[in-house]
Amino acid sequence: MKALATAAAISPWGVYSVWRRHADVYRITWLSNLLPPMSEPMLYLFAFGAGLGPMIGAFEYLGSTLTYAQFLGPGMIAVAVLFQSFFEGAYASFIRLSFQKTWQALLTAPLSYTDVFLGDWLWATTKGVIGGSATGLVVVLLGLYPPVGLLYSLPVMALGGMLFGACGLVTAGTVRNIDQVNLPTFLFIIPMFALSGTYFPRTNLPGVSRYFAEILPLAPVVDFLRWPYGLPTYWPWQLAGLLVLIAATGSWAWWAIRRRIYL
Amino acid sequence: MQSSTRVDLVAQQLQKQYGDRAVVRGVSFALHPGEILGLLGPNGAGKSTTLGMLYGLVVPTAGQATLGPFDVRRQGREARRLMGVVMQENNLDPDFDILGNLLTFARYYRLGAGEARARAMALLAQVGLAERAKDSPEALSGGMKRRLVLARALINDPKVVFLDEPTTGLDPDARQDFWRLVAELRAAGRGVLLTTHYMDEAERLCDRLLLMKEGQVVGGGEPRAVIAREVGHEVAEVEGVDPRLLADLAARSGSWTRPFGGSTLVPLPADGEALWQAIVELKPARLTRRRANLEDVFLQLTGGRL
Repeated sequence: MKALATAAAISPWGVYSVWRRHADVYRITWLSNLLPPMSEPMLYLFAFGAGLGPMIGAFEYLGSTLTYAQFLGPGMIAVAVLFQSFFEGAYASFIRLSFQKTWQALLTAPLSYTDVFLGDWLWATTKGVIGGSATGLVVVLLGLYPPVGLLYSLPVMALGGMLFGACGLVTAGTVRNIDQVNLPTFLFIIPMFALSGTYFPRTNLPGVSRYFAEILPLAPVVDFLRWPYGLPTYWPWQLAGLLVLIAATGSWAWWAIRRRIYL
Repeated sequence: MQSSTRVDLVAQQLQKQYGDRAVVRGVSFALHPGEILGLLGPNGAGKSTTLGMLYGLVVPTAGQATLGPFDVRRQGREARRLMGVVMQENNLDPDFDILGNLLTFARYYRLGAGEARARAMALLAQVGLAERAKDSPEALSGGMKRRLVLARALINDPKVVFLDEPTTGLDPDARQDFWRLVAELRAAGRGVLLTTHYMDEAERLCDRLLLMKEGQVVGGGEPRAVIAREVGHEVAEVEGVDPRLLADLAARSGSWTRPFGGSTLVPLPADGEALWQAIVELKPARLTRRRANLEDVFLQLTGGRL
């Protein structure tokens, strides 16, 4: 119990200095780090927005009339948040844990395990916000999202980044080798990316699949990012659910990686 | 970079159990400032696990590690401020240049930018890497990487430095370079805890040794004293004679034998001239008489080669 309390000790400077380390690496490698993953939501935006959009025309979404590209824009912001934060947590943290042994090196400095964990988590969250903002900027420049909407969406991106960053860290703490990261990617991330209301309203889905899509963690993030066009009536429940999920997944990630380091 | 306050590193009955496998079984010792203490043992003896418990990356099943007034488990942050750790793996940051590696580490200790830079440059000069400050660590040789990890461990002027097999895989020149740096740590008043399975390294560097076997300390002391006590002053290496014959002969003189590669090792007692003559009369294919060393101590402890 005492050991647990020690491991849980937090120093704001410690968390910041770990976050800053990751940010410094990113500053050096940002071009190769940001562009490939960012190209994916941009490509979808172009392919489906410009290619498919004209075939669909305008439709009703929570009382607002939207073009398909307008509907898709916030969905792609959500996808950028999801991909950037999850893969930072899953791949980059796994590499720092198992190949570069960065976590172990940090733990020889005057940092607690929780400092290092929170620094990593905060960084995965930051990557989500950076990815979401970059896609959001393109969406705004294309006239598909109000500029002020992007500003107020930052906290939503942060919540999404925290949740999917934690999912990534759970993965990093659980998989045995880097190939196994494919498992949660194809079983969880990709279905969520397709079905959460990113490409079409979840109400279009038949029968039980609609309720399944409703409980996917990306669903509230997508809905909140569409806030300029309206929010579902049950949004407080969605927010509460999101916060509970963040707390639960964050704790799980803390435990999973700790078990891996302190054998 | 002189360390002034006296800080002892103390292990008290440290134990580590993985499932039902006991890896460390009650290890106690103290490391004093300005002393190089070597943990020696074959692979799997529990050296690295013991070291890990002392700097906090391995949670002991029982026992306690303290550095000065700080309990390493409960006050890890405070204790690690006084420590520098060179782990078995280099774990340098490949994304930063050499100077960047030190500056990033200095930030964890909350050193100011100016102080961190001055200290980093001084340390790079000390380890002979000042000219390489802007290179990637990936471009360094194995020996240089180890020196950089050592420089990183010294960034906060530690009282105690942990070196976990610091020269494994290095060529003889690189090892000599590293030894010189370790001697400087002692001269600066730092305590150094070293694990190695290079016997020459232990004999040359360490003021005191702890011999570990199967998770326990089975002996220790000043290197020459340990050799004298466990083996004696001289040994014979005999090849081409039935080992059973040699074992009988040795036992009659109060000595013992161990297989040593293709030959047999026979310690010669202080009045061992008779034993030596007896061996010579067996007309071995090859026979060497030499000074006993730590490797012989190990053969005695482990019953075979490391």
